[in-house]
Amino acid sequence: MVRSSSFSPSLPPAGAAMDNLLPAIRTRHLTVSYGLRPALLDVNLDIPKGTLVGILGPNGAGKSTLIKALMGFVKKDVGRVEIMGEPAEKAKGRMAYVPQRSSVDWDFPITVEEVALMGRYGRIPWYRNPGKKDREAALKALRAVRMEDFGQRQIGALSGGQQQRVFMARALCQGADILLLDEPFAGVDAVTEKAILTVLKEAREQGLTLVVVHHDLATAASYFDRIALIKRGLVAFGRPEDVLQKELLSEVYGGQMQNFFTLPSINPKP
Amino acid sequence: MLADLAGLLPGPLSHLFFIKALMAAILVGLVCGVTGCLVILRKMSFLGDAISHAMIAGVAAGYLIMKLLFGMEAHAPAMLFGALIAAVITVGLIHFVSSVSRIKEDTAIGIMYTGIFALGVVMVSLFREHIHIDLMHFIMGDVLAVSDGDILLAAFVCGMVLTLILLFFRHFQASAFDPVMAAAIGIPAGLFHGLLTLCVSLVVVVGVGMVGVILVVGLLITPAATAYLLTNRLDRMMILAALFAINGAVCGLFLAYAMDVAGGGAIMLFLTLQFTAVLMIAPEHGILTRYIRKIRHIPAEITEDILAGLLRKDPMGLSPAALIETAGTGVRLGRALARLEKEGQITRQTDLVRLSPKGREKALTLRRSHRIWESYLAHAGVDEEKIHEKAHELEHIHDPDLLKNLDDLLGHPMTDPHGSEIPQDPCLHKKGVLFSASLLRPGQQAIIRRVPEFLREKLKENMPLFLKARDRAGEQWECILPSGERLILDHAAADALVVEMDEKSCQTEFS
Repeated sequence: MVRSSSFSPSLPPAGAAMDNLLPAIRTRHLTVSYGLRPALLDVNLDIPKGTLVGILGPNGAGKSTLIKALMGFVKKDVGRVEIMGEPAEKAKGRMAYVPQRSSVDWDFPITVEEVALMGRYGRIPWYRNPGKKDREAALKALRAVRMEDFGQRQIGALSGGQQQRVFMARALCQGADILLLDEPFAGVDAVTEKAILTVLKEAREQGLTLVVVHHDLATAASYFDRIALIKRGLVAFGRPEDVLQKELLSEVYGGQMQNFFTLPSINPKP
Repeated sequence: MLADLAGLLPGPLSHLFFIKALMAAILVGLVCGVTGCLVILRKMSFLGDAISHAMIAGVAAGYLIMKLLFGMEAHAPAMLFGALIAAVITVGLIHFVSSVSRIKEDTAIGIMYTGIFALGVVMVSLFREHIHIDLMHFIMGDVLAVSDGDILLAAFVCGMVLTLILLFFRHFQASAFDPVMAAAIGIPAGLFHGLLTLCVSLVVVVGVGMVGVILVVGLLITPAATAYLLTNRLDRMMILAALFAINGAVCGLFLAYAMDVAGGGAIMLFLTLQFTAVLMIAPEHGILTRYIRKIRHIPAEITEDILAGLLRKDPMGLSPAALIETAGTGVRLGRALARLEKEGQITRQTDLVRLSPKGREKALTLRRSHRIWESYLAHAGVDEEKIHEKAHELEHIHDPDLLKNLDDLLGHPMTDPHGSEIPQDPCLHKKGVLFSASLLRPGQQAIIRRVPEFLREKLKENMPLFLKARDRAGEQWECILPSGERLILDHAAADALVVEMDEKSCQTEFS
């Protein structure tokens, strides 16, 4: 586990990451501000390839900002982001983004199939129409998330979890190596949460790297290979058992932690 | 040539001016319909309105400059160019105001377009000796007086805008649906927003000549909104919107001719009626469909209340008339009974409704839910008189896990506060269902399936277990083992012991 501090003059040399491979995502001194307030401060992160990584932290800690900074949606003050060893600006097609549910117009006249097909738009030149290959890729992605039977439905006519899966299909057929997901488990029921998790794990088996903004400490340990604990800066990054320590958590969550340690339990399980 | 042709046709078509108006209306309708789809999806309707009003300043400026510099009266290209510039400036100002201050975009639009419209009005009246623009004409439009130039311009704009939208359909679609994603895959959202704004300005400029400043926004958005109610695909929406717009323009013109009223007004009126009709009868998003769906919907409370009512009279059953009070109106009752019968929960003879075994199980679950809620409410200190009423509402919340937890919290009570028995969960009597020994009732025998560490000395798996009694407070489970030995379990131990129901010897005691 890397215990990160704001002053880290000696960074781990390249190649020190797992299996001596280049990390899928590497950030150095990544800093982003909204107005005068820094939202992210000096984040140094090496995310190994093929891992399922959870980003955790209290509200307003900069979880979404980190994802947006990786995607290049927000301007960074200083620092750099490398994707598979390349500067992020040159690696646009290698990352796909699954937005938070609230950022889309659900009444838009568009079918599930068309949403998935949108994942291919980035690779079709402007003068050409989507071809058979593109449609097949979209269908394959829909099958991967088990949404193939809903192809002709309007996107808003699905349940929250189904919508989430369609957006994952769209990201999958972008052909990216890295998937960034912003709160995919927000507002879905337990069954759907399992279904989404299965898709994430299957994507990881295919060699994808997945970075997931998550808010539930109770499930984090069983969901992710690595956890990045964030509160403005990177507080800790490592295996769940190393990061989910009481001491670290109370440092990050402060008063909000009480809820986690004293979960209301009226049914003591055998 | 057109005039010769017109002479041969019957009715209003015999007038050249009418044919010209028809051509212009069809061209403008076509382009308005298609562009309008993107306008309403990007929520730019108000912006369209703003552009149409702001134009007048540009028209006046173009008129004035050509008149003063070159002495040309009513120079059409200059006025048109001026209108476009005014539109672009207005959009720019709106963007500027809403991005540098806390003023939101809709307010910025309101401020800027009235301001620039006012500037136009002042200019026209200030230079009234030089500018011969009829403000009324500008505001109301006159489709029956279109010139050849207007038609050519409409054709040009129509061709250009349609080409742009068809060519970049995917880009417009993606940046309207999910701007963030569009940006992520390299679609320059700003560029396409600007392009769309330009298209809207062009369309509005030609539309104003026909229906005037006030109605042009309706021409832009009403057909698109009509189509929006009918389809779930953007490409089909555009085709439908174009058809609605053309239909409205043509029918409106005939209406105007027949009744001798203003063309613009007739067209807009027809478009609005068309929209209202579709709003009523649209198959998926229409008002009528929603209403029918609503009255067809039978709340789960009603079917559940029917089941509960039947359980009280089980196994005699009830006449449908006796259930009216439970289910409300007779129509609803009929539908609710039909649904229950279809689901196999009840059987119906001519005048008698009875529970099926499946329905009985469901009804028992509901009774269990009701009585557990009653116990919980009593436990939580709710007034005894209100308990039944509140539990009646709460019994419809019967998620199995929730009931399990409540039951456990209450210490697995066997009777409710009124002394009635709380039925056991019917599922426990099914083969292969494993559950905690704490759920057994006195007189029942079960087979032990899993034994916790601390009971290993006395109990083994597959050993029968007979529950003789629960003490009065319900805190102890008195069991009898096959050896005849008595074993007292407390709540935690009874919870931890996993058993399966032994149906054969359920009611008999060990000898």
